[in-house]
Amino acid sequence: MEIHYRLERPIAMDVHLRVEGFTVLLGLSGEGKSTLLKAIAGLLPASGTPFGGLPVQQRPIGYLPQGYGLFPHLRAWENVAFPLLPGADRHREAMDLLARMGLADWSERYPATLSGGQRQRVALARALARRPQLLLLDEPTSALDMATRDEILEDLIAEMRQLQIPVLAVTHDPHLATMADRMAVLAGGTIVQEGTPRELFAEPANEAVARLVGFRNIFPATVASASSTGVWVSGPGWRLQTAPRPWARPGMAVAVGIRSEEVEIQDAAAGGENALCLQVAGLRDEGLALRLKLRGALSLDVLLPRLRQRDGGIIDPSGSLQVYMAPEHVHLFPPQGSADDQPREGG
Amino acid sequence: MSTLVKTLPIAGPARLPRAWLPPLLGAAVLAFLLAPFAALVFATHWQDLHFAPGDGTAISVSLLYSLLSLALVMLLGTPLAWWLAHYHYRGKWLLDALLLLPLLTPPLAMGILLSSFYGPYAPVGSFLQHYGVMLSNSPPAFVLAQVYGALPYFVVATRAAFEGVPEELEQISLTLGKTPWQTFWQVSLPLSRLGLAAGVALAWVRALGEFGIVLIVAYFPQGIPVKLWVNLQDIGLSAVYPLLWVFFLVAVPLPLWLGLRSRRQPLF
Repeated sequence: MEIHYRLERPIAMDVHLRVEGFTVLLGLSGEGKSTLLKAIAGLLPASGTPFGGLPVQQRPIGYLPQGYGLFPHLRAWENVAFPLLPGADRHREAMDLLARMGLADWSERYPATLSGGQRQRVALARALARRPQLLLLDEPTSALDMATRDEILEDLIAEMRQLQIPVLAVTHDPHLATMADRMAVLAGGTIVQEGTPRELFAEPANEAVARLVGFRNIFPATVASASSTGVWVSGPGWRLQTAPRPWARPGMAVAVGIRSEEVEIQDAAAGGENALCLQVAGLRDEGLALRLKLRGALSLDVLLPRLRQRDGGIIDPSGSLQVYMAPEHVHLFPPQGSADDQPREGG
Repeated sequence: MSTLVKTLPIAGPARLPRAWLPPLLGAAVLAFLLAPFAALVFATHWQDLHFAPGDGTAISVSLLYSLLSLALVMLLGTPLAWWLAHYHYRGKWLLDALLLLPLLTPPLAMGILLSSFYGPYAPVGSFLQHYGVMLSNSPPAFVLAQVYGALPYFVVATRAAFEGVPEELEQISLTLGKTPWQTFWQVSLPLSRLGLAAGVALAWVRALGEFGIVLIVAYFPQGIPVKLWVNLQDIGLSAVYPLLWVFFLVAVPLPLWLGLRSRRQPLF
């Protein structure tokens, strides 16, 4: 489904994106993600396709706001039955939908006595009762417990795929995007990149997207040389090789992005290209992983999963380390970025 | 830090100094409020309880027209309250201030305003009189006075009740295919019922007890408040007790029933 919406207020936006299967729209808070969903639902004045110009109640959409918006004065089954027409089948149909969501035993409960995940499924059952052509989910992970979040979301996404209803979920949580069929990034009132999660996570188009998909190391650099075999970029005291980029020209100001988890610790004796010797400035456990702050020619944020923590032997919290970044893990972003995304020192 | 935390004594609510003071003060104020009611029980001559002539008519006048006024107040006040709760625009404070005007106007002053607007010699009054509607010392005037007395209170209470309904739930209802009208009945109304009940109860008591406006605009037909005044003037204090009891019996049950009923609903 192609979606094209334009609105002026409260945030100016001109958004064009394709929704296929479970599609996630990623954006920072304040970019207008919720606003866009409300516009598509018809709750805000906007023009666009599909459903443009129709009154809210005639748009075949299912809209789940943050917190799900269940009616507190109605039991679970009454919530699900809300959009159904009065008739003998109303109760049975609502119960069928609840059963499909695995909530048949909870039908007599009021929303306040249900868990976050159960509420979400009741809200989903209610939205499905409307027989929507498009489901709009606003921050679907926000009211879920971290411990059960992934499981609930996997079930949810599997259910949607089975129903073959396109879903547009907006979030600032890149983790949700990893589970999507397709994703897009909203910044500055427009879609700055869209594609499969694999494409966007591997090749973010610019710094803004890179930050959203989890890049912590982003810093300015200059293209030293560019050829069909690779591009060399440099900054004060360092030089890195990256994969070839057709647009890179010597002397061009670019930004370099490196994922924390793609920085490797090397034996100090190894040396070679793309290796840097840096000072340990910070060290802390992050669950089973280890997060390092390194200073020197470059300031780097490094995340070492447990498996790789032995690579560099025992880490001296006040010593220095040799790190290596494979050329394919050094990302380059072209200079044209939005004004509010000036290159900043990473780490 | 940890040693500091350990040495601090744990202060529970039981150790609060003078914990008996608030309940004692509360009880004293409650007694002060209820004392006149208790006095009524003792002041009434239970052996010799009889109505003054015309009391029965006053009771039926009050009941009938107050119910009519209540219906009118709800009919007129609900849309206004809903509109005030839902529409936001610049300069709304002015509207709020204007709404407070009839609320803050003393009833006697309001009565004078009404008679200078609806009275037989006022333009609107004489216009209506031309069509046979007499808005002075008549049943319509009585209802009009009660409506003016109760409507502002109803609107203020109901508006607060509507404002308490999350707008998101009303929007969700629309996205689920309900019209704004259906949304009002199925979402806004049930979710604001506590406040609405308070508004209805308040309007009922205001309408039934309205004295100041009624005295000026509709001395006749005499309802309970005016009849109480007349009995007090003509006969004396002992003559008002029977009617006063009826007044309480008529005024209190509706608000009490509404209040209890809305509180007994399942909590969500």
